[in-house]
Amino acid sequence: MKGMKGWVLFGVLSVLALTLAACAPAATPEPAAEAEPFKFGLVLVGPRNDRGWSQAHYEGGLYVEENMPGAEMILFELLNPADKPEATLEGVVDDMVADGAKLIFTTSDEFEEDTLGVAEKYPGITFINVSGDDALTGEAPANLGNIMGRMEDMKAVAGCAAALATQTGHIGYLGPLINFETRRLTASAYLGARYCYENYRELNADDLEFTVTWIGFWFNIPGVTLDPTEVTTNFFDTGVDVVMSGIDTTEGIDVAGQRAAADEVVWAVPYDFEGACETAPFICLGVPYFNWGPAYLETAAAVNDGSWKQSWDWNPPYWEDLTDNSRTAAGWVNGEGLAAELQAHLNDFISGLASGDINVWSGPINLQDGSEYIAAGAVASDSEIWYLPQLLEGMEGPSE
Amino acid sequence: MSDELIGIIASILLQASPLIIAVCGETLTERVGVVNLSLDGSMLLSAMTGFIAAYKTGNLAFGFLMAAAVGAFFALIVALASIRLRQSQVAVGFVLTLLGDDLSAFLGQNFTRLPGPTVQKLAIPGLADIPILGPILFQQNLIVYFAILLTFATWWWLFKSRPGLRLRSVGERPEAAFARGVDVNRVRYLYTLIGGGLVGVAGAAYSLGVKIGWSEGHTRGLGWIALAIVIFGGWSPIRGALGAILFGATKALATVLQRTFPEVSVVAFNALPWLLMILVLLVVSSDITDRLIALSPRPMQRPLRRLLKVSPPKALGTELVEG
Repeated sequence: MKGMKGWVLFGVLSVLALTLAACAPAATPEPAAEAEPFKFGLVLVGPRNDRGWSQAHYEGGLYVEENMPGAEMILFELLNPADKPEATLEGVVDDMVADGAKLIFTTSDEFEEDTLGVAEKYPGITFINVSGDDALTGEAPANLGNIMGRMEDMKAVAGCAAALATQTGHIGYLGPLINFETRRLTASAYLGARYCYENYRELNADDLEFTVTWIGFWFNIPGVTLDPTEVTTNFFDTGVDVVMSGIDTTEGIDVAGQRAAADEVVWAVPYDFEGACETAPFICLGVPYFNWGPAYLETAAAVNDGSWKQSWDWNPPYWEDLTDNSRTAAGWVNGEGLAAELQAHLNDFISGLASGDINVWSGPINLQDGSEYIAAGAVASDSEIWYLPQLLEGMEGPSE
Repeated sequence: MSDELIGIIASILLQASPLIIAVCGETLTERVGVVNLSLDGSMLLSAMTGFIAAYKTGNLAFGFLMAAAVGAFFALIVALASIRLRQSQVAVGFVLTLLGDDLSAFLGQNFTRLPGPTVQKLAIPGLADIPILGPILFQQNLIVYFAILLTFATWWWLFKSRPGLRLRSVGERPEAAFARGVDVNRVRYLYTLIGGGLVGVAGAAYSLGVKIGWSEGHTRGLGWIALAIVIFGGWSPIRGALGAILFGATKALATVLQRTFPEVSVVAFNALPWLLMILVLLVVSSDITDRLIALSPRPMQRPLRRLLKVSPPKALGTELVEG
């Protein structure tokens, strides 16, 4: 059957061709016009129920609807080239504006550039690009602001929990793509881990292995990114016993849960969403999560009464109670996998951060190439943290 | 052996398991003379169906069952089209490949990137504590146990059992089998359906265990790999399983290489296993290999041919002309 071999070869070849080819976005749909009470748009890069990044934003939108009379959310999910190759941010925004949205949250770094474009196209509508910095750099028109939660502190807490738990002294970080945001978050986790490895475990922090593998996007796109399931599996195979997730979805803790079912001693630290531990609670050390509700509500109220001013907000956690979702922008919940005596250490670390006695971003801190970034005795400024150019010395994995 | 190496080997086995299941299924199908070329599409559709069924009900077994049903349904179309309607199996299978791909993308679009239930690992008491072999073979995911048992069961059935003999005779000399009173078409329907069902199980094994979750194109390409491995495996489940493990090893290697050479694009490493499969296909089916073997020392020729060359069931892809 020569013919069949030919077809199979053709099939394999065409898949290869598709693997090598990149993806391209396409045209926009047309709008229609009308207006109403207070409508706001929420554009998500993933699905509203991913138990990760996108769900956290969706809950933020629900929080606004619950707490602001007359507020109504217009939702658009899965705006990314893999799931909706035909959709563009401009098309989505056209529709939302046509439906009467006065305020639109574009909730991914993926939308940063396009948000600039639509903000110029619709000067009467307020735009918030989450995680961007256009309002800081002055590139943004006056109707475009930025919001981000100060996750760096919570990532330090997460790193601390990982360092307290690890038996092999090797932590794996499941990273998305490489940019300023992911570098500083990963570095914060590493600094938190180092601090706790040294101060609570009383071990040499230089012996702590911290490996970062970037999959290439915020979540798995078959054929385009590394498969997070495989990466996590590979972590555990190569001596890692705590996997910290930096991606939008839950593969890290899913795989850890599978492995733990065969009595393997492993843990996971998921990310983004308060309920992320639920997949495998017993091996979950805790989760650093975003709580967008309060900031979204404040913004919606300000836009509604006309008092909104452009700003670049990097909202801090509410240190008195990191799980107070009416106040904190970034939170931390302990997981069931974190043993009681480790919890005591972690609480001590958290109160140190809260009081300012501990600052993991204090020098000396060297970049991955060995050059000095923060001198001994100095403390990193906000902009030094935000624009971290490389990973840090001691971290394994690519910086760009 | 270091723990690291043991861990990697165990994971390669895990990676290979769904492929092994699909390869066993397709081997059965092709051994009765039917080519079900729709694997890539039916695996995608069954991966999606299995995921959604398990996600909605929380019942993994139900997910696998639905996935098997989808795989068997696609196989039924191939069988009907070729046996009843006398259409080209290859063309029908190819169209079904495209259909399954698009249909899975469309029907599964509201279930992408969600965390669903997953098949767990299970350490087998006693055996799991054996050094080296324990961690590789007996602290595995349930899918791995199933794939291993299935490989040997398929091999035994094909080559050691009476129904297996009849099965092969239908794929080699259907007219002769028919003359001996074998209901050729019934046997073909039966094993095409069983094979398709196993392909469906393989799809669900991905979405519920090995490549957790669903998103568009989640297993795209792996069906083609399974088809290629069936050829590479010379239509034998054991050799096919080894082929799947080899493929799993290159995937694992790609992950390791990615970490070692971070400056090289992810896409390049993702392409690596496919290139290897093309190479293998060319080697086992090319005339050049024949000539190279003829150049080797005479005593080496037979074993080399056995190793490198394969020949399909003689009636593969043909219809039985009755009377």
